Amino acid sequence: MPEIKVTPLGAGQDVGRSCILVSIAGKNVMLDCGMHMGYNDDRRFPDFSYITQNGRLTDFLDCVIISHFHLDHCGALPYFSEMVGYDGPIYMTHPTKAICPILLEDYRKITVDKKGETNFFTSQMIKDCMKKVVAVHLHQTVQVDDELEIKAYYAGHVLGAAMFQIKVGSESVVYTGDYNMTPDRHLGAAWIDKCRPDLLISESTYATTIRDSKRCRERDFLKKVHESVERGGKVLIPVFALGRAQELCILLETFWERMNLKAPIYFSMGLTEKANHYYKLFITWTNQKIRKTFVQRNMFEFKHIKAFDRAFADNPGPMVVFATPGMLHAGQSLQIFRKWAGNEKNMVIMPGYCVQGTVGHKILSGQRKLEMEGRQILEVKMQVEYMSFSAHADAKGIMQLIRQAEPRSVLLVHGEAKKMEFLKQKIEQEFHVNCYMPANGETITLFTSPNIPVDISLGLLKRESAIGLVPDSKKPKLMHGTLIMKDNSFRLVSPEQALKELGLGEHQLRFTCRVHIQDPRKEHEMVLRVYNHLKGVLKDYSVQHLPDGSIMVESILIQATAQSEDQGTKVLLVSWTYQDEELGSYLTSLLKKGLPPTTA
Amino acid sequence: AVGGLGAAGLAREGEERFCHVTPWPLGGARWAGMAAESAEDWLLESLRLYNDLHVFELQEPTRVIEWIGEKSVCVAGYENSRRNEILQLLLPQKLYVKEKQGLCPERDFKVERGGFSDRPVYSLRHVPDTSLLVTSGPPDSSLQVWQLAAEDTDVIKCASTIPTGNDSKKPWTKIATTLARTPCVLHGSRVNNVQITEIESKKNIYTAASSISDEVSSLEFLDCNTLLACCVNGQLCLADVRQPQSPLGDASIPWALSGEQWCMGVSPGVQGSDVNAPAIARLSSGGQLTLTDLRNISKLLKSARCKVSAASPSTEFLCVSWAPVLDGCLAVSGFNGTVHIYDTRSWPVSGEEAEPLFSHKGHILSGMDNGGGFPLVTTHAWHPWKSRMLLSAASDGSLHVWDWAESHKNS
Repeated sequence: MPEIKVTPLGAGQDVGRSCILVSIAGKNVMLDCGMHMGYNDDRRFPDFSYITQNGRLTDFLDCVIISHFHLDHCGALPYFSEMVGYDGPIYMTHPTKAICPILLEDYRKITVDKKGETNFFTSQMIKDCMKKVVAVHLHQTVQVDDELEIKAYYAGHVLGAAMFQIKVGSESVVYTGDYNMTPDRHLGAAWIDKCRPDLLISESTYATTIRDSKRCRERDFLKKVHESVERGGKVLIPVFALGRAQELCILLETFWERMNLKAPIYFSMGLTEKANHYYKLFITWTNQKIRKTFVQRNMFEFKHIKAFDRAFADNPGPMVVFATPGMLHAGQSLQIFRKWAGNEKNMVIMPGYCVQGTVGHKILSGQRKLEMEGRQILEVKMQVEYMSFSAHADAKGIMQLIRQAEPRSVLLVHGEAKKMEFLKQKIEQEFHVNCYMPANGETITLFTSPNIPVDISLGLLKRESAIGLVPDSKKPKLMHGTLIMKDNSFRLVSPEQALKELGLGEHQLRFTCRVHIQDPRKEHEMVLRVYNHLKGVLKDYSVQHLPDGSIMVESILIQATAQSEDQGTKVLLVSWTYQDEELGSYLTSLLKKGLPPTTA
Repeated sequence: AVGGLGAAGLAREGEERFCHVTPWPLGGARWAGMAAESAEDWLLESLRLYNDLHVFELQEPTRVIEWIGEKSVCVAGYENSRRNEILQLLLPQKLYVKEKQGLCPERDFKVERGGFSDRPVYSLRHVPDTSLLVTSGPPDSSLQVWQLAAEDTDVIKCASTIPTGNDSKKPWTKIATTLARTPCVLHGSRVNNVQITEIESKKNIYTAASSISDEVSSLEFLDCNTLLACCVNGQLCLADVRQPQSPLGDASIPWALSGEQWCMGVSPGVQGSDVNAPAIARLSSGGQLTLTDLRNISKLLKSARCKVSAASPSTEFLCVSWAPVLDGCLAVSGFNGTVHIYDTRSWPVSGEEAEPLFSHKGHILSGMDNGGGFPLVTTHAWHPWKSRMLLSAASDGSLHVWDWAESHKNS
């Protein structure tokens, strides 16, 4: 039985990283290659020894697919490709390819330069890794090799995030990565067609949540900003160069307009070239509808939002500043933070996850005394808030996606099976599919029944369709032929053709049966009697009385033989080929029942 | 110029199936539509009106919100034609921590447990200090008992069924629970079939000795020995469980308003020591609110008229409840898509229309795409200790958690 195997790499119940191995029709694919952000040692990397105990992984994997740029999905990629060893193709979308190396480099800097760790990938390794990347477009079918093809679908979630369909022949698997089913301001909702994969693999981290509406989360953000500004405080919002920041800017801009607020809002551009580059990337990634929104407003043409100058940080009075980088680990945002941290009227709003070791992570963990360079202690009196705007699918979203894709089975990763039985039952009952929940390190094997396409020879098709009534397009039609399996191809041909190809002669089997008929009259009278009888009974068949005295029913021959010993008994010989077995047997039993009495 | 939070009005374009974008807040091309505008306005207004606001969308609407302890609530579906879910939801951390515990970033409910019910759930009660739930609903009058806690699974399982012996043609059974030595449930659909049944043994430990066949709209335990029933016609019936065969008291209705249907809410404080506050509030389908003292249930203490534009088409969802913390405050819902808070201490005596202290309009105005219907609030519940916080659910599946700002009058 053909099978699909799925193994989420990792150990125990830890949820921190994504790295899933899929084996489909003999092809091995690795889905995502994430770093576990909670560990400081080798446990942060997936255990690739599962794939092979020794040597490079190129021979064992047909390709690697990365769903989006979050570090828990791509953080281990350079380690995997350069330190463990993999030279095959790595697929991801264009924005992911552009943004991944930035985040990886940032992460490397924090881990190596700031924390002084050693067993980590280098800048060169990141560059070498990215050289192996093949960027794909949405809905573009990419042939990895003769048999394996992949296709990316829009996933929402973050810029460049995609869901991937992996197909070999008629077997397919869809991997969702992280996605959301409710649209954002600048990102739409995930979408997939009714591709009916054998298996849908989905993250289940948020499957057991019911999410507060986007608007209420935005409302919370506005409230916090407003309250701070009202009391004369300064609000710092560390952001990554593009994406969520855009949305927050539009939100604040409109709010300021409506409430007629006067406090200045600044946006610190950081590295301008990079920002512009992402901006362009962003525009081509989304569709017409989104594009229009941004064409009308250049990122730096807000009415209330101005470009930041570092001198402004010392201005008195309330203000709001968006500054990079997002985790407060260096640059502008950290500088501003240091100036404002001592005043309890001020506020910092962290809009995303922060890597361990960064100032952002420390203050989110509750640390209020930070050791900065030169052993200086910084006391953090400003309010620290966290705002999660990241979009994930909840239970409702997962159900929606399953409804869209119509998979035959569902597999949920990163959930604790005991705590997800309700969801499993829900999915199984609503969609009548199997729902699997492997633990990390556990392999699930699915059996599929793929359709096997077979070429039928034209001659055979014509011949078969000529027999019998006009075929009903809605009903399966039974055909007879010979199946030849040769060199990975399947063909259906006529038996004669098959014999010819095999160089065999055709043998004919002919059966002859003797039927005794009680009839004292002459032979030819009896034959006539038989003929009339059969003609009357077998109305749908061709019954012929041949000039030589024999009867033909279709291709079955009935002859009267020479006299038997008994004058009153005549003998009929019924003769048919193997192909006419059914009719032949039927005729024989019919004749054995005897002939109807003749009218005088 | 960009109007409102919805950015530019974008005309719908041909099918460029690149990514599926449903413009916020409504689907389709209604960026600049009226509904979008009012949703925006309301959200901005909400900054002033509420300290806290959460808007959730359940997959199926619920008409029950029952607290399990102080951190979780149970909700359940009431569809007739398909399987319904019973969900135990853990509140977002911010809403149940008492001391400020640093950052509580998540604003989401967590589905702790879930179960499947073949019948619609019209009434759901938790048996205090146990892991048992009791539900009732059509097609018959029996009760279903559910088991919440299990070590190895998060599925809420149906543990048993309690037949009530009532004719199934009668209205669905109302239920009430209380803290008692052995878990038991008070149930009944008419005054003469009110009983208390022990859950484990299914034995009846109290049966109302009454000839009154009036339909019951609300049932409550005042304490583990005293029960109170409110009839659909407004009549209140009181009984002491320790005196079996004691008739369910007959209280006359001096101000009987025919044609209206009534339900009641009992102050949780009555189980404590404060005997001065009026304990019983009754709400009619016409919007009448009456207050009655426990010590003299045939006398009306105060009454007022709710500020509703039309009488409720049915009493299905009428709901009145006392605030656990704010003295003298009542919440009323079931007439339309709003929840009203009234301060009974400031009512005029004569029964005129009272001005609500606050009106929650979120179910109508928060802009959920409901295909244009008008949601009806199906139930509400007060937070046990956050004085101005409530949960409310509506027929469109919305579930709100809100905490209105003090001394802000609704405009």
